[in-house]
Amino acid sequence: MRSLRYCLLLSLLSLAACSQVQPWEMGYLAREEMAFEVDSLESALNDHIFFSKEASSGGSSTTGGGCGCN
Amino acid sequence: MFPKIRSTLTTLFSLSLAVASPALFAVEEGEQVPDFDLPSIYAGQDNISLASLQGKTLYVDFWASWCAPCLVSLPQYNDLYLKYRDQGLEIIAINVDNPIEDGLDFLEETPLDFPIPADPEGDAAELFGVIGMPSSYLIAPDGEVKLVHMGFRSGDIELIETEIQKVLAEN
Repeated sequence: MRSLRYCLLLSLLSLAACSQVQPWEMGYLAREEMAFEVDSLESALNDHIFFSKEASSGGSSTTGGGCGCN
Repeated sequence: MFPKIRSTLTTLFSLSLAVASPALFAVEEGEQVPDFDLPSIYAGQDNISLASLQGKTLYVDFWASWCAPCLVSLPQYNDLYLKYRDQGLEIIAINVDNPIEDGLDFLEETPLDFPIPADPEGDAAELFGVIGMPSSYLIAPDGEVKLVHMGFRSGDIELIETEIQKVLAEN
């Protein structure tokens, strides 16, 4: 019972650590170092290999639905 | 023991909610403008505060170099400023870039005639409760917020100009 209480307290405390990115802070998200891919050329090549092997494209990023209709 | 834990948990929970929720105290039309005092983005220039602009029709805009519609709006605001400054219009465009050099790079290419305060920590943006970029506020000489405008689409400048004309005519 006590450990459960501690868990609850800890989870609530960690909730307080969450903070929303404010509209005026969105620039941080647009920075290069925030991108999922380190090297855009390499990821484009990887995409191309994937597309050639699997005969499907898209779905690896926000653009394209992976319908394979290209 | 139990009530104590319960009250602590309630406090913690409400605290976490307060931290996680978006700007709860956004400035709205009809309210008084919050007081601010910010340094200029240009080194060696005076601070820009609400007190130094009192008695004027004021247009406050929040912008950043990463915000595309902001960059479209600023030269148009400059035209408005040149057109109406003799009638008592003041425009300030608060830059929220961090680092401020990003904002300065834009200003080097696009010089603007009105003051540009720097707010890299977003203190003023928080004070105004900015809920989107760009956000702008038209403030009457008595400090009442007359218009809150968010975003910048084609045709918006005409709407803003009409509101500015209205406030200038009333005062």
